[in-house]
Amino acid sequence: MNVTQQTRVGLRTVALGYLFVLLALPIGVILYRTFEPGLSEFFASISTPAAISALNLSLLIVAIVVPLNVVFGVVTALALVRGRFRGRGLLQAVVDLPFAVSPIVVGVALIMLWGAGGWFGALDRSGFTVIFGLPGMVIATIFVTLPFVVREVEPVLHEIGTDQEQAASTLGATGWQTFWRITLPAIRWGLTYGVVLTVARALGEFGAVIMVSSGFAGVSQTLTLLVHARYIDDHNTYGAYAAATLLMGIALVVLLLMTVLDRKRSNR
Amino acid sequence: MITVTNAHKQYGTFTALDDVSLDIPRGSLTALLGPSGSGKSTLLRSIAGLETLDAGVVTIEGEDVTNVPPQRRGIGFVFQHYAAFKHMTVRDNVAFGLSIRKRPKPVIDKRVDELLEIVGLSGFRDRYPAQLSGGQRQRMALARALAVDPQVLLLDEPFGALDAKVRTDLRTWLRRLHDEVHVTTVLVTHDQEEALDVADRIAVLNQGRIEQVGDPVTLYDRPANDFVMSFLGSVSRLGDQVVRPHDIALDRDRQHALALDAAVPASAGVIGAVVERVVRLGFEVRVDLRAESGERFAAQITRRDANDLRLAAGETVFARVDQPSSIVERMAIAGV
Repeated sequence: MNVTQQTRVGLRTVALGYLFVLLALPIGVILYRTFEPGLSEFFASISTPAAISALNLSLLIVAIVVPLNVVFGVVTALALVRGRFRGRGLLQAVVDLPFAVSPIVVGVALIMLWGAGGWFGALDRSGFTVIFGLPGMVIATIFVTLPFVVREVEPVLHEIGTDQEQAASTLGATGWQTFWRITLPAIRWGLTYGVVLTVARALGEFGAVIMVSSGFAGVSQTLTLLVHARYIDDHNTYGAYAAATLLMGIALVVLLLMTVLDRKRSNR
Repeated sequence: MITVTNAHKQYGTFTALDDVSLDIPRGSLTALLGPSGSGKSTLLRSIAGLETLDAGVVTIEGEDVTNVPPQRRGIGFVFQHYAAFKHMTVRDNVAFGLSIRKRPKPVIDKRVDELLEIVGLSGFRDRYPAQLSGGQRQRMALARALAVDPQVLLLDEPFGALDAKVRTDLRTWLRRLHDEVHVTTVLVTHDQEEALDVADRIAVLNQGRIEQVGDPVTLYDRPANDFVMSFLGSVSRLGDQVVRPHDIALDRDRQHALALDAAVPASAGVIGAVVERVVRLGFEVRVDLRAESGERFAAQITRRDANDLRLAAGETVFARVDQPSSIVERMAIAGV
């Protein structure tokens, strides 16, 4: 396509302007507001007991959700790619469900299921709190992050095929040895990317988690809930900005980690 | 020694192996030759244990391995598309089988170096498969398969993904390797030239059945039926006989042709034909002919004969079968 110099500059301006207004500007405003009163103010705001507890809770949820998603994600991806069983199409659709269902609906559904009056309410009545406790938040987060690992690993499995695994088996490797030495290293990068997406989403999830959390500061408040509570309930605008910056900081670290790992891969 | 007895394999309505029995002598290099869908790969993969037979028995060195998984069959397998472990170096690829067997590192290193020397990849120890050419990758795959000292080496169209020049080089190289290593080798191919070149025995498969087993010369000169004959080389139909084009002799003089033909037993007689085209292919000259019956066939003659005959399009010649050895026996034709 032949484009004149003028059109090209124009198109670039539009694209960059769009990104700036929609992405860079809001983030910039938060960063500006956060650091305007100085670094000490920022650190004071993110080291209150409520903030530290929120950070810990968010990281705890990530630490529980990621391993579970990795194991079930890889198994599901293997089943979808290699398996020949009835209901495979159904499973494909079910995996995508969290993309289609609004997180708030997920929260409501979980209350219906696990709440005191729900189908599995007996558990709640026996004293094991699911809804308005950590288990509820973990289940809600698993629901919304379920597809990431599956959908990132699946195409890689398709691509590598079964030749390498068959070769390993003719060389004497058992099923487990083949999985650890051949399959896992081959899907490593898809898996890494799936984990990064899972972490980012688990940290940022709000709609589903707010439904199933009691939202007590220092007890059941994740970082995202803290941002919300400080802004809406406490009218502590600055505190909300600071917590949001912390949240972004963690997401940025994860993203950087991924980029570094990605670069390592392309160097090979 | 590998034996396959009454092997049967079905995929849905497609019969891949239909009551196949085959003995592969120890130390031989046997080619399974056939068109695609003939069952040759299924047969090889069944010997490896990568496919399970619906019925039948496979033994390797006298041991019934029909229900033994590939891990414990003592085989080396080479795949058409190399199946290189992409995340491992050449060294680690070749060492894989030995490290699974938990051999000490110095032993593994020594064996790997030895094998890389044999396959000519000594300088490529620390490379990744992506940094190798197709031919090099396949030689690495061969070294990897040989590292575990397999009782049998199974190759599934090993040169199929390579270009023509590399393919012929590797073929010659494989033959030399086999002469040195003497491991019982089975090679699947759809390329008759490749089979005739490297193998000392060929089994021709068609539609899940074995048509004929024998050494290359027997198969070429005394094919059991039309299929084997046409699969192992080009053929011409002369009257009711199927012959090799280079076994047809041409003569300008009918009487002379008849006299010579009388000496050949069971001959198809002398057939008058019109020259349609003369194609000079270097040493060989192909003459496209149309018989009096209207049937077209081709004869392959030497450059000298062609010069002596001074053939030109439109002229009439007399064709006869010169070497009856390659005629498919009548009975076999009747049986097809």
